[in-house]
Amino acid sequence: MSTPRWPDGHDPAARELAAALDHARARTADDMSLRRGWSAVADLPERRLPPRVRRWSYFAGGVASAALAGACAALLWPRTIGGPRPGAVASAPEAGVRRLTLEGGVEAKLSASGVLRFDGGDPRVEGGEVRFSVPHRAPGRPFIVRAESYWVVVVGTRFGVAVDGGRNVAIDVDEGVVEVWGRGQDGKGAARRLARLAPGEGWRSPPVAVEPPVVAPPPTPAADAAPAAGARPATASAEPVDKAPRHAARSSGHAFALASPGGGEIVHAVEAPPSESPPPTGDPTAIARAALASGDTTRALQLYRALAGKSGPAAENAAYEIGKILGDKLGQPAAAVAAWRRYRSEYPQGLLRIEADVSIIETLARSGETDDALAEAADFLRRHPDSERRGEIARVAGDLYRARGDCRRAVGAYQIAIGAARTRDVSEAAAFHRAECLVRLGDSGGPDAARAYLRSYPSGRFRSEATALVSEDGRSR
Amino acid sequence: MRSVPRAAGPAGDLDMVVRCRRGDGTAWRSLYDRYAPVVHRFLAAFGVPTEEREDACQEVFVAVYRSLGRFRGEARLSTWIYRIAARHAARAGRRRRVRKLLSTLLVREPAPPPAPDPSDRTDRLRLLDDMIARLSEKKRLVLVLFEIEGVPIEEVAKIAGCPENTAWSRLHYARAELTAMAKRRMK
Repeated sequence: MSTPRWPDGHDPAARELAAALDHARARTADDMSLRRGWSAVADLPERRLPPRVRRWSYFAGGVASAALAGACAALLWPRTIGGPRPGAVASAPEAGVRRLTLEGGVEAKLSASGVLRFDGGDPRVEGGEVRFSVPHRAPGRPFIVRAESYWVVVVGTRFGVAVDGGRNVAIDVDEGVVEVWGRGQDGKGAARRLARLAPGEGWRSPPVAVEPPVVAPPPTPAADAAPAAGARPATASAEPVDKAPRHAARSSGHAFALASPGGGEIVHAVEAPPSESPPPTGDPTAIARAALASGDTTRALQLYRALAGKSGPAAENAAYEIGKILGDKLGQPAAAVAAWRRYRSEYPQGLLRIEADVSIIETLARSGETDDALAEAADFLRRHPDSERRGEIARVAGDLYRARGDCRRAVGAYQIAIGAARTRDVSEAAAFHRAECLVRLGDSGGPDAARAYLRSYPSGRFRSEATALVSEDGRSR
Repeated sequence: MRSVPRAAGPAGDLDMVVRCRRGDGTAWRSLYDRYAPVVHRFLAAFGVPTEEREDACQEVFVAVYRSLGRFRGEARLSTWIYRIAARHAARAGRRRRVRKLLSTLLVREPAPPPAPDPSDRTDRLRLLDDMIARLSEKKRLVLVLFEIEGVPIEEVAKIAGCPENTAWSRLHYARAELTAMAKRRMK
């Protein structure tokens, strides 16, 4: 039996449909996603999978689950409905705690005096302490909590956010990794990552000396991780540890502080004295991680270096971690880049290959190595046409070209960023800067691009600048 | 008959399955490398959203591995994997609908609007995905397998668990609905 080619006909709808189907046939999976998938199923031949459950037990399980769900719904209904609607405020009772379940299974525990506001966007800690437990999130969909002029970006972890009476913000991490983002003490300038916290670490904001700034719309962190060319880390501030809100230094342990490159202060908390809680034994990665969490960077580096000399997934991870320690903890960007390049040469198809590429580009861009950063970015964009990090990297390249005054190349890079952006922040910044560069080039499409930006982001971060570009065009006519 | 190079069962599939059953990690890797991109593309076309696709693909491969012992080689390996993937995609769709219903009842914040993307390719794909998502599950399965995956209709019928004529009929109605939707959108 034969089938005529479909969609047939020459009308525009059929042509559009045919083109869309061609695109769907050519759709490819993200390389990183496939690798992550492989790492999840690679050991199935060695794993003893539990036997399949028979159908009748599914039925029995279903009936039991339905009954349980009904009971839970009856118990939880009033609280959930009255809970975090836009504009709602949740607070803990005078003495005691309050637990809330938020979207995506995020659990929030409000301690006494803890206040959490839901104003239609991300939840905001307005006072007291709130501890969060965030289940693993899908890539590109981080959970964001705001506190004063900062936001905490989480992929899946347990952590706490506190705001004291002096509007100082303190964050501490129990599990996983969180990032603290902000626009600096004056609340102006590009959003940037102020700190990246590992388990056992805490962070607190610099003391508030002036009226706190108006909080800007939350950025999506990955994009802003790439600062504009020439951006320098803000001056580190140092605040005595004893002024920190109570939980940053845990009562069960002791703490010491490091200045964070973006402002604020990273507090390393040692959970308990060594005599009570002996360091982990056996797994070298766990020992290295514990050393890092306790602030013993030198020991962690030694352990990771020893591990990297071996083989297997732990060695691969260690080879990547060495770069992170050198760059993030020891402030040695050149050594960090060299370590990641070593990782790449040893593991050209490694699971962390894309992470290493991105880290190299970001580090080179931050340390002013523009040519190197651009070469790496161009190579990345060529090699990874379907990577989920493509948008971020194209935006970094665009920012670097723009800073060099090469608007033509910047426009091309921003165009890629807009097409590949996975986050609003990247697409918004790229859309505005593309318009800005087109105007600088004297391209007639520049003002139209600025208008398109204003239509897409009526309350966007660059609305005043975009409005200025449009009105300049009006005057020149 | 349309040419169906992508869905044709490559040589050595059965041998690969036999080696996988014996716990051969290399064979398992080959099977993953060969079929993971196919499963990803199928899940994407079937309407599994990006943020769920990776997990769904992993679930499919766990199910594939678990069921390897029951693969008798009567159907192509690709057909068998598509059938598992279709079952998972349908289940994920049901879960998503329940979640959506619950979230409208209980939860509060609307999902953020997708970022605008001016490129024709993604724009067209988004429109197509949106239109395919409006088809019934049965018609969607047949259309995706035949039109996007290039699976021959007799294999499509096996995957959908229906007679060949029924598969043709579903394909006919799916095409008609899709064409009508495309015309409405072009107006």
